[in-house]
Amino acid sequence: MSELAQLIEQSATRLFEDFSDSNAHELMEAGQFPETLWSDFLADGWLTTLLSESDGGSGLGLAGGCVLMRLAGYYSVPLPVVESLMAVYLAAESGFTVNDELLVPAIISEPLKADSEYTIRGVPWARHASSLLVILSSNNETRVSMLSCQSVTIVEGQNMAGEARDDVTINTTQLNDSQSLSGIDIEQVKSWLALGRAAQMAGSLQRVLEMTVEYANDRSQFGRAIGKFQAVQQQMAVLAEMTSASICAVDAAIDHLASEQEWELIACAKITTGESAGYAAKTAHAVHAAIGFTQEYPLQLNTRRLWSWRDEYGNEAQWSAKLGKHCFQLETDNLWSWLTTQTS
Amino acid sequence: MKKLYFTPVITGEKEAALRAEVRSFLDHYGAFNVSNIIDSWSICDPELSRALAEKGWLGMTWPTEYGGGGRSYLERYVVIEELLAAGAPVGAHWVADRQSGPLLLRFGSEEQRQYFLPKIVRGECFFAIGMSEPNSGSDLASIKTRAEKVDGGWLINGSKIWTSWAHVCHQMITLCRTAPPSDNRHAGMSQLIVDLSEKGITVRPIITLAGEAHFNEIFFDDVFVPDNRVVGQVNEGWSQVVAELAFERSGPERFLSSYQLLEAAIKELRETNLMQQAEPIIGKFVARLMVLRQMSLSVANQLQEGKLPINEASVVKDLGTSFEQELPEAMRLILATEPRSSANGGVARLLSDSILKAPSFSLRGGTREILRGIIARGLGLR
Repeated sequence: MSELAQLIEQSATRLFEDFSDSNAHELMEAGQFPETLWSDFLADGWLTTLLSESDGGSGLGLAGGCVLMRLAGYYSVPLPVVESLMAVYLAAESGFTVNDELLVPAIISEPLKADSEYTIRGVPWARHASSLLVILSSNNETRVSMLSCQSVTIVEGQNMAGEARDDVTINTTQLNDSQSLSGIDIEQVKSWLALGRAAQMAGSLQRVLEMTVEYANDRSQFGRAIGKFQAVQQQMAVLAEMTSASICAVDAAIDHLASEQEWELIACAKITTGESAGYAAKTAHAVHAAIGFTQEYPLQLNTRRLWSWRDEYGNEAQWSAKLGKHCFQLETDNLWSWLTTQTS
Repeated sequence: MKKLYFTPVITGEKEAALRAEVRSFLDHYGAFNVSNIIDSWSICDPELSRALAEKGWLGMTWPTEYGGGGRSYLERYVVIEELLAAGAPVGAHWVADRQSGPLLLRFGSEEQRQYFLPKIVRGECFFAIGMSEPNSGSDLASIKTRAEKVDGGWLINGSKIWTSWAHVCHQMITLCRTAPPSDNRHAGMSQLIVDLSEKGITVRPIITLAGEAHFNEIFFDDVFVPDNRVVGQVNEGWSQVVAELAFERSGPERFLSSYQLLEAAIKELRETNLMQQAEPIIGKFVARLMVLRQMSLSVANQLQEGKLPINEASVVKDLGTSFEQELPEAMRLILATEPRSSANGGVARLLSDSILKAPSFSLRGGTREILRGIIARGLGLR
């Protein structure tokens, strides 16, 4: 790990390990925002940390941001870590001035009709945000608008982890006032969000593995720890394999940010974490048995997130189809040569 | 719980130049002397091995004083994955280059290194693996083949089985019991280098279900091995075998055995206009392959740093062999072609070859269950 990543990890762990709001999860699940935790997050300067120093940040960039996002996934932090960091980053790139208020990205992928209502489905954390950063593609250009949440209609929804995923209805005229996100394609924005989610998932998978190993060593049945049974060991080994594959895929995608292979490696990371999520949750719950199925036991904080996150910002089938389509478009017999450029 | 490390590696210009050189070599080499290119590292072509030796691609990472290339593990990785992806029949020198040479470098005597390594590098000396026995498969510590101390050396009696290319190889590193079994079942074993042309050795071929004759059973009847052919310490063979595993289990041969089928399937699907429904399946397998390459490269880099990432190697092999076994299972469902053993190449033949060969992928070099047991131990469960 780089020195920078270590620094981020040390300092964010202090914040995430022991929430200042001990009831942060309960608040979030009840549809409220964990304000105290959020203010601590702001006080530590994380919101603008991706930005360059001249923009008031600490210059971590997307790569450094992903380290923080992975840790947020590990600790199931009930805050919009991915969304707030990405929105601030994209807003700054578009020339908007950012402040400490919560801004979340909302992506529109379809062409819009003029002066009509349009609903953006499942916008993360919209109800808690002060503004939305609406991103769309118009005439081959990525345009960005900042909309106050006061000016839109929000219908609240939640994912399986209780995280806010709200439907937001706007009037398309509200998007007339927009800035260009020059040099950044909307597909790239989508892939960055997918990487942020994949980074969270990699962290969450690591936590699930650790919790499950600990439980298998502690829980005793038939006179010995259940982890001593081969049937359990074999499943746990696969859980460890898939977790390490996920971490490796996310790390490789982070290393290739801003390279020619950027989206392919992000696709790979989202596919790998997505495939691992289902297996990890299934296995962790099998090993934990009934206690892990309770709300009281913290395993569900991770597994409900994994089940939700694997479908957000593109599930493994969607990213696989995109990657597969790309393979068919390569010149004949060029698969191998393309594959080998993915690690250069 | 030991952490598993797979720090991704980005290869540079040196590796890119070498890759281009291998591709150019393959372009000029012409067609290989075999009809079956699935699992090409289990196919033997001594002529190709010598041509590769001339290019300096055997013993690439070994010190130049033994004729080695003095190059990095990443460079070796590039060469072997290019050869495997091209379906090159590299089986003749594979074991010597991958594990016997590195074993001698780590545990062998100076005389053994000076004698064997230059010959391996020149493509003149091929090694076989003498581990499994008729009654000792996964439970390797239960081997019965014994070497008895006699004046000036050892006398071997017993048999080994599943020995690929024993009828072509020159030497075999043979795990023998050199002391009676004790409470410590891993004690009392030694690795002996046996000259396969020696008196008292009988090699009997075993045909696989795919119709191939690379396996053998080998019988030893008072086979004499001189003292200077014991590798490392007498009775310390087990720990040496374990060290070999990091080399044996982490390479690209653990996930590229059926790669030819993936390329051919993409081509066939394009030609038969079945692309659209195949996209998610192709993408899924390509993504798995991308991650396996990253993980295997990472292990190569750790070997370069002098580490012995045995748990990581087990992870690569288990995920890798699952990939190469599942690939034909998935391709047959999206292709409009039935497997044909009689076909002279093409996707029908590749399907047939990869389905018939697939069972061995997760047996050789440590079964799936053994690998998962090793990983579970690393997790602190055993």
